[in-house]
Amino acid sequence: MSIGWYLAVSAIVFAIGAGGVLVRRNPVVILLCLELMLNAANLALIGFSRMWGNGDGQVFALVVIVVAACEVTVGLGLIVAIHRRRLPIDVDELRELQG
Amino acid sequence: MLSILIWVPAVAALIGTIAGGRRTAGTIASLGSLGALGIAISLIAGFNGQGGQLTHVIDTVWISSLGIHYSLGLNGLNLFLVSMTTFVFALAVIASNLRSGARPELYFLLLGIAESAVLGALLAQDLALFVGFFDLMLIPFYFLTGMYGGPGRVMATTKLVIYTFVGSLLMLAGAVALAVLTAHASGHQISFAYSALQATRLGRGTQEWIFLLFAAAFLVKMPAFPLHGWMPDGYREMPLEVLAVFSSVLSKVGAYGFLAIVLPILPDASVHFQTLLLLIGLISILYGSAMAFTQTNARLIIGYSSVAQLGFITMGIFALAPQGAQGAVLQMVNHAIVVAPLFLIVGLLAARAGGSEDIRDMGGIAMRAPILATVFLIVTFATLAMPGSGNFVGEILILLGLFKTKLVFSIIAFTGVLMASVYMLRVFIRSMHNRAGPEVVSRELRWRDAAVLVPFVGAILLFAIYPQIELSRAQDSVTSSISAAQTIASTTSVADR
Amino acid sequence: MSATAAAWIVLAAPLAGTIINGALFRRLPGRSAGWIGTGAVAVSFIFALITLAKIQSVAPGARELTSTLWTIAGTTGVDARATILVDPLSVLMICVVAGVSTLIHLYSVSYLAGDRGYSRFFAYLNFFVFSMLLLVLAGNFLLLIVGWAFVGAASYMLISFWYRRTTATSAGIKAFVINVLGDVGLVLGTFFIFKHTGTFDLLASFHRAPHVFTSGSGDVTAGCLLLLVGAFAKSAQIPLHTWLPDAMEGPTPVSALIHAATMVTAGVYLIARMHPLFQLAPAAGDVGAVVGCLTLLIAGTIGLAATDLKRVIAYSTMSQIGYMIMGVSIGAYTAGLFHLMTHAFFKALLFMAAGSLISAMGGVQSLDRMSGFRRALPFTFACFIVGGLALSGVPPFSGYFSKDSILLFAAGRGGWHWALWAAGYVGALLTALYTFRMIFRAFLGEPCAEALELIETGHLHHPEAPTNPANGEIEDTDVGFPGPDHAVAERAIPMRAAMGILALLSIVGGIVAIPHVTSWLDRFLAPTFADSTLVGNASNGVLALGLILGAVVSIGGIAAAYYIWVARPQLAGQLRERFAPLATLFENKWYFDELIDTLVVRPGAWFGRFSQNTFERVFVNGLLVGGSTGLVRASSALVRATQSGILRVYAALMLLGAAAVALYFLLQS
Repeated sequence: MSIGWYLAVSAIVFAIGAGGVLVRRNPVVILLCLELMLNAANLALIGFSRMWGNGDGQVFALVVIVVAACEVTVGLGLIVAIHRRRLPIDVDELRELQG
Repeated sequence: MLSILIWVPAVAALIGTIAGGRRTAGTIASLGSLGALGIAISLIAGFNGQGGQLTHVIDTVWISSLGIHYSLGLNGLNLFLVSMTTFVFALAVIASNLRSGARPELYFLLLGIAESAVLGALLAQDLALFVGFFDLMLIPFYFLTGMYGGPGRVMATTKLVIYTFVGSLLMLAGAVALAVLTAHASGHQISFAYSALQATRLGRGTQEWIFLLFAAAFLVKMPAFPLHGWMPDGYREMPLEVLAVFSSVLSKVGAYGFLAIVLPILPDASVHFQTLLLLIGLISILYGSAMAFTQTNARLIIGYSSVAQLGFITMGIFALAPQGAQGAVLQMVNHAIVVAPLFLIVGLLAARAGGSEDIRDMGGIAMRAPILATVFLIVTFATLAMPGSGNFVGEILILLGLFKTKLVFSIIAFTGVLMASVYMLRVFIRSMHNRAGPEVVSRELRWRDAAVLVPFVGAILLFAIYPQIELSRAQDSVTSSISAAQTIASTTSVADR
Repeated sequence: MSATAAAWIVLAAPLAGTIINGALFRRLPGRSAGWIGTGAVAVSFIFALITLAKIQSVAPGARELTSTLWTIAGTTGVDARATILVDPLSVLMICVVAGVSTLIHLYSVSYLAGDRGYSRFFAYLNFFVFSMLLLVLAGNFLLLIVGWAFVGAASYMLISFWYRRTTATSAGIKAFVINVLGDVGLVLGTFFIFKHTGTFDLLASFHRAPHVFTSGSGDVTAGCLLLLVGAFAKSAQIPLHTWLPDAMEGPTPVSALIHAATMVTAGVYLIARMHPLFQLAPAAGDVGAVVGCLTLLIAGTIGLAATDLKRVIAYSTMSQIGYMIMGVSIGAYTAGLFHLMTHAFFKALLFMAAGSLISAMGGVQSLDRMSGFRRALPFTFACFIVGGLALSGVPPFSGYFSKDSILLFAAGRGGWHWALWAAGYVGALLTALYTFRMIFRAFLGEPCAEALELIETGHLHHPEAPTNPANGEIEDTDVGFPGPDHAVAERAIPMRAAMGILALLSIVGGIVAIPHVTSWLDRFLAPTFADSTLVGNASNGVLALGLILGAVVSIGGIAAAYYIWVARPQLAGQLRERFAPLATLFENKWYFDELIDTLVVRPGAWFGRFSQNTFERVFVNGLLVGGSTGLVRASSALVRATQSGILRVYAALMLLGAAAVALYFLLQS
């Protein structure tokens, strides 16, 4: 199977994830979509790794998975904290950081 | 030796901060600054820099690709400024110890860093190092003002940051340009060392714009008219101990910069802009005095009087005569040891006048505080350059230097002496004498306040009786530092005739 | 012991007194502070006499001894050293200063006995004596200036001694500022001299001056004129005199010591000391003579109209110093210093007597309120009479000889100096008039309430609620004020002793230089003034004319005063009506205060207000500060607008950015 198919799937998944980040307002869903984007990148990395026949890409993918796990932990923790303070679960409402 | 001197205060303050605890931090910081003072005194005692030689030289390559050296040295020019810095800082740190404030660990750390940076700037013999220390010394003061200041501290800090950073950036640009162009002109490798920069003289046009960049930074720092806009707010908001240090020490680094860097390295431009700088000095004197008449906040009166005093120092430097420069260096030390106690006394007065620093709320404080009144009177007389004080010797040398080169400037500058007597006595009388203010509770100086003020009075009296202690050591360095500009000035004036 | 060593002790003793009184002010019981102060100055006086004796043993040509302790500032051509110069002139001055000071200290021991600031007073007073001695002993311009300013500072501190009286503090600052103006004149004058001679040493300057200056050249004239500014400010000569009458706010012994006997005569000393320079600048000398002459006339006329007892004496001081300044400016150095000495005696005496009188009045100084104290205060009255006769120049009192010797010299110079001579006798008439107007109004006539109280009950008058007569403020009893607790001479032995000695000196002080009889003073001062080129040898006829005229004028003046203010009490009012414009002018002190206010104070205040309200606000704060902060704010506002806080916008921007970068690389390849 040529590399093109792997990349095509990766691109489609990445686009779905990016679109989700942009249109959805629920932070849980945004996190979900971020995961999609990361995994799209993982897919591409593993595809290239297979193409060159060495393990470098797979190492990168593993690192990305670990980082993604950490990120989700922090992200979900934040969402729980937001929920506890009875703030709206909506990223557009949470704009305290404006200049 | 000099490295130890520079870094002792910061390291001690850091240890104090790590050790934690209100008492510990302050005590260790005081020990550090007293240690620096001790080293400085031993340096005076063992000083043998006759002929303007640098002593205790340290020179190590720091960033070789840029030609930056960690190079320090002591000569007659910075000897007493260094001692004065350690003296004022030590007493200010001790005074801060006697007062309880929030977050003391950080406070003392910032003061320690500030002291190290000032000492570094004074001792540096490499322009890049000087610029680095110059900027480093400002940073602690932003935080000290912003975190520990009065109610308007945010605005004050903003102004302070903008003014001084613009000045610093201009100076940085000037320093880089100077080094690059000098390297270009001489064909040597790039170097920031003062000696290397002095060795090759740039063209006159180049010197002139670099001069303006440096002058902007130094004049802001002093502050001189019309670049003093940050001063009233900053002075109003800073904690008094910090203000004492700021006004007495930091302003002198600017004046020192003129004398140690600008005059030797850019002599043609210095001569070219002599009249401009004299004019700035003169207007600073007149304007600062006029403002000091009308203010009612004791801090601002003293602040504006500093503008006037720094005007004298500027004029002394740009008289381009040995007497003037000698007077300027002496006056830098003198002004530091009078203005710091003045600010500390303002704090004591405010404590007796229901917390107000406005002279309209004071009055009659001398009644049960004769010692405080005496100390204040001595400091007041020294500030207004009463003959018999060290300040008088400084001013008379400045004016004599001016008298020989620029007669008219000298005569007009004399009105500054006259006005100083009016505004300083006004503060004294309105606070100490006359009818007691509404909330005035007169009480005597406490022992711990006296412990801080008495060393200042001792220093004032020492310089009153024997200013020669400074003059004799500074003479050779000062004359050599202005000699280039002086030669050019005299040849051009002959040519004009 | 050498003469210079003795002179150093002369200096050190009062300084030690200051330090002791200042350091131990809490511990000193009762009057011990006063006795310490008096003792210190007495020691100084004794050593002044020793110096006098020692210098007599030096050969007349070598009577210029100097001694240097340390270098104050010796760098780049400046030679400021702590040098004293002991020569006949300075020895005469230290004897007069220390002697009169001792007596005034003695007087103050009793006079200020009840005051809250007793040891403070003596610390200040000793400091003043130290400064004055430093001024006259200085052998270096710098040290001279130091002494010059120190006496001004001491004068300030003592004028403001009762510092909760606003009148006292404002008088103090006025005196100080005018004195600083004098200091500036002195320093600038010194610069002009230094520019050519290249040394601050007095003797070296004098020796070099004739070689480096041509007579009447611009720089030496400018220098001497500026020295004169210093002298005028210190000696209260027109137009820098307005501080002296106000200085009467100080305690009366201060008025006696500083504002009559010693400090205000420093200008006379200065001109005499600088005579080698003034000889090279005849124009400056002429200016000094004219100003002195104007002062003696104008001050005399104001003295005729003033109603405050101490101010009458103050104007009289101005007037007498006018004589001295005129004298030393025309070259009559010995005569000027002779008058300085006799004036110190009789003026100090008059002030002391006035202090006694004011005590009896419970602090009131207005002549309008006083009368008939002759029986209540016989000793004070006697002292007033002796002082008044000496001041008016009635033979054979001391003032008669000293004043005439100045005028005689003026006549001897000839030419336009005859006008000075004539003015001097007009001034003498005025002197006799205002002096005895004061004495007659205070002591003759019906006894006033205070005098009656003293005669009948033997009590000094104590006001119920003491008020400051100048502005009606209730006195602050914490700090002290003139009047209630102070003693009268009749009841205090130290005061009587001091006044008695001065009265004696006022009577016989003239014997040191009676024309054709004694010439001790001339011979003593001759080494100092040997190089003087100005001579005023008048013929014996002029001498006789002057002596007779002096006697006639003074006695005539006293008789006229008696006629106007005692024999025909209503005549004074009639005269005032008759010459109303003139009287108004005199009563308003020739409008000098108003003139200075309009010319100097108001423009200064206007400039200050302009700086603060307009310039600082508009230019510095608006343009410079506002401009730079505005620039930073505007640029930061631009950046800030993009920070909306909406997460999705940030994400979109990021994606766009990434896409743009990707697109760029794609297009590149």
